[in-house]
Amino acid sequence: MAAKHIYETTFIVNASVDDAQIEAAIERVQDVITKNGGTIIALNKWGRKRLAYPINKKTTGFYCHIEFEAEGSVIGLVERSYQLDELILRFLTIHLSRNALKARAKALREAAAAPAPDAAVTVEKTTIEGEVS
Amino acid sequence: MRPRKPTRTNGPGGRTKREREGQLARKKRKCRFTEAGTIYIDYKDEKMLQRFVSEQGKIIPRRITGTTSRFQRQLTLAIKRARHLALLPYASDAIR
Repeated sequence: MAAKHIYETTFIVNASVDDAQIEAAIERVQDVITKNGGTIIALNKWGRKRLAYPINKKTTGFYCHIEFEAEGSVIGLVERSYQLDELILRFLTIHLSRNALKARAKALREAAAAPAPDAAVTVEKTTIEGEVS
Repeated sequence: MRPRKPTRTNGPGGRTKREREGQLARKKRKCRFTEAGTIYIDYKDEKMLQRFVSEQGKIIPRRITGTTSRFQRQLTLAIKRARHLALLPYASDAIR
């Protein structure tokens, strides 16, 4: 049996379609992971964000970030599904390194100590402020 | 044996040779990550990464930012990942 690892995947969904379709796209990604023996640890929706540069002539995208535990073989399947999904503009899947896991554990510990733990996770930066002059 | 003379010419309060030649001793910059005790540089933290990127979107060399080599390597990877996800621009200045 192949060993399970913790991965994280971030993807950008086309933000010009309605919310139901975006939700469906996110659902499809989760399905691929869970149906292949993976477990989802965290799902963060960053929401609509301005892209730093246009992708497929689009300037905004809906960002979604999933942390999951799965066997290595699942990654190929997940990435394949991304490529087939027309709503997905961009994706990045990485294996969390030992240091990344340590940093994550630390952040979780701090979030648990803070008064509003779930607020700290979901309230991510929503827009890119124009610091570029 | 006589001690070696310092390379000063205007007495003890004078400027050193280095200073006279215009290479003013710059304040030593310290690595932000080492000071903060960072373990991992996350590509998702675009606000932080923006500080290590020039106006054109180029990665600032560590000789300017003072980042240690270990963190510069991590930073480079994080910036490149962030660029892929359009969190940071590849090039932001259109004027050529």
